[in-house]
Amino acid sequence: MYDAPTPGSKVDQTDIKITAKKVQVYYGDTHAIKDVDVDIVDRAVTAFIGPSGCGKSTFLRCLNRMNDTIDVCRVEGEIKIDGEDIYDRRIDPVQLRAKVGMVFQKPNPFPKSIYDNVAYGPKIHGMVRNKAELDELVETALRGAALWDEVKDRLQSPGTGLSGGQQQRLCIARAVATQPEVLLMDEPCSALDPIATAQVEDLIETLKEQFSVVIVTHSMQQAARISQKTAFFHLGNLVEYDDTNTIFTNPSDSRTESYITGRIG
Amino acid sequence: MPVFWLVLILLALGVGGYVFGRSRAMASAGGDSRKLHSLPNYYGSNVAIKALVPSFLVLFIWLIAQPMFISSQIAGQLPDDIVPEGGSIGLIMAEVRRTAEGIDAIVAAGGMTEEMASSGRADITDFTARLQEAGQVVTGTVTQPILRAAQSYRSMTATGSLAMTVVVLLMTAAGLVYGLRETFPEFRARNVVEASVKMLLIAAASLAILTTIGIVLSLVFNTVEFFRIYPASDFFGSLTWSPSFQGNSQLGIWPLLWGTLYISVIALLVAVPIGLFAAIYLSEYAPKSVRATAKPLLEILAGIPTIVYGLFALLTVGPMLVKVFGDGGLGWMQSGTAVMTAGLVMGVMLIPFVSSLSDDIINAVPQAMRDGSFGLGATKSETIRQVVLPAALPGIVGAILLAASRAIGETMIVVLGAGAAARLSLNPFEAMTTVTAKIVSQLTGDSDFASPEALVAFALGMTLFIITLGLNVFALYIVRKYREQYE
Repeated sequence: MYDAPTPGSKVDQTDIKITAKKVQVYYGDTHAIKDVDVDIVDRAVTAFIGPSGCGKSTFLRCLNRMNDTIDVCRVEGEIKIDGEDIYDRRIDPVQLRAKVGMVFQKPNPFPKSIYDNVAYGPKIHGMVRNKAELDELVETALRGAALWDEVKDRLQSPGTGLSGGQQQRLCIARAVATQPEVLLMDEPCSALDPIATAQVEDLIETLKEQFSVVIVTHSMQQAARISQKTAFFHLGNLVEYDDTNTIFTNPSDSRTESYITGRIG
Repeated sequence: MPVFWLVLILLALGVGGYVFGRSRAMASAGGDSRKLHSLPNYYGSNVAIKALVPSFLVLFIWLIAQPMFISSQIAGQLPDDIVPEGGSIGLIMAEVRRTAEGIDAIVAAGGMTEEMASSGRADITDFTARLQEAGQVVTGTVTQPILRAAQSYRSMTATGSLAMTVVVLLMTAAGLVYGLRETFPEFRARNVVEASVKMLLIAAASLAILTTIGIVLSLVFNTVEFFRIYPASDFFGSLTWSPSFQGNSQLGIWPLLWGTLYISVIALLVAVPIGLFAAIYLSEYAPKSVRATAKPLLEILAGIPTIVYGLFALLTVGPMLVKVFGDGGLGWMQSGTAVMTAGLVMGVMLIPFVSSLSDDIINAVPQAMRDGSFGLGATKSETIRQVVLPAALPGIVGAILLAASRAIGETMIVVLGAGAAARLSLNPFEAMTTVTAKIVSQLTGDSDFASPEALVAFALGMTLFIITLGLNVFALYIVRKYREQYE
């Protein structure tokens, strides 16, 4: 179904989806993100790694303006998706989030049926004209999240009744159903067992064919397995950003080396 | 007051027991508290508990049982013909007690020697005169049997109190000795105190439950009594409510039940949308500072006594409605007291119930739900409508049902705002009345508690109780059934 992934394979540097320049994030008086510059490649997996509290999740949440929902949070600098500044006044954050989907650390299916969970995005964005189209879209999304075969006979049962791994794939299906261009994943496997983790990782490999995936992870093995580019964050700074292969085999910064060899973190 | 002094003495003994127990424990350990099983305080408390708990229990039971016992003894002594036709033994006993108390007061004031007060040959007219002179209220003339009864009532009470004092003090002393004797280093005083704390809590809980059972039983007995003299088929079948104290009353519950439900529905129509929207604003939109002031302000509404709401209905809302819907305006409304008046004001009263409970419930919906929805590009109101409210719905339904029980049981607003006419009508601008308001009017004034017109109040109360109980059970069921959906 998909090509076997080549960890750390070189990607075409010209195909840039997101560019971030001099991004600063403040929580009240705390300077959480300092001067982060990063270019995120389209149709590839970019991993953010780093110790807890280093700002990787905060930076991820800047990319779809989820930080707007936190009162004390302030973002400065420039983040462009396809050359368009997403913090521009004319940009509607609600519209932006439809384009930049997000999957969270803990599976958070809505207290609705499996079908309604997936149909939620398409319905609110008016993406379909009738029930038949919606049915088709839901099926495509569930197939895309490798969940269809497990749930096709019980689409009307509650999404919260699924297992943890299935719930997380349901949340991915839900994000995929709105047909985003970028998919942000905030430690999507941290609440899952190894088998469910493997399923979600397989899924990420297929998803990157369609759009760019940015994943925050605590597992360096996971970053090495699935990503093409890796960014290492430490104390709010972006320490190093390079091809995954380079980061894990030949890091240029001593802090990166210490982290991936387990000496800090 | 001998009982008051007795209690003080007991408490002093308890404190003494505590001090002795504590020092004895320390002495038994040779002054080294580390050798004791428990902290020294526990040994003291153990002695105090052993001394006080049994004696206070006996005191309490004795105080309740003694008057009952004496009354039944005296009643047995009274001649059978003393009870007049249509009267009851209770009235005679009340007179006996009053006479006895009157004699007590005179003796205490020095108007009579103790010897004379208890003399078997005392003169009735002299006694009556002295009682009246001393300002003691005695109905009519004290008759010979009543005076005799009062005298033996006095002597039995005195003997009883003396016996009680002796028994209670003996028990305390025994408890003290027992507690002190078991005070040695290996004794697990800490565990005893722990068990006593548990018993105290169990006692408090059972008292609350027993009181509820008592209330229900008193309702049930009187309701049964009512249905014995008034047919249940008329009570539940008749559409007319016209009590008359000359007898021949028509006591159909439907006009009252209709008024209750009509007013409650109007109240909920006001309270539910306003309360719910307020809750949504407070929990989802309002900045922290607004929420911090607005929520307590809203909850002040819940602290206003309902009689004040009743005045508001009578003096402000009623006349205002008359101006618009009355003869000068649309001509639908005759006077300020109407279903609409009471319903609107009751709705205002219920707003904080709905909003405060709903606000807590909406806040309990995990932030992850909202994040999930925002992450898909939903707006705030879409998120609230399609994710937050469905998740909070069982709790909100529970809140609404609780508000409904309040509305059904509300009295003062109805008495002042809705009028007193029991009628079955669809016009919300007409005066109607409710079950609760009629319970009040049936029981106030000179009512004979044996007549159906008074006893009907208990049947009405029982009906209300069952309706609100049903609503509460239903609310609990809904909340339980759907609670786990998002946990």
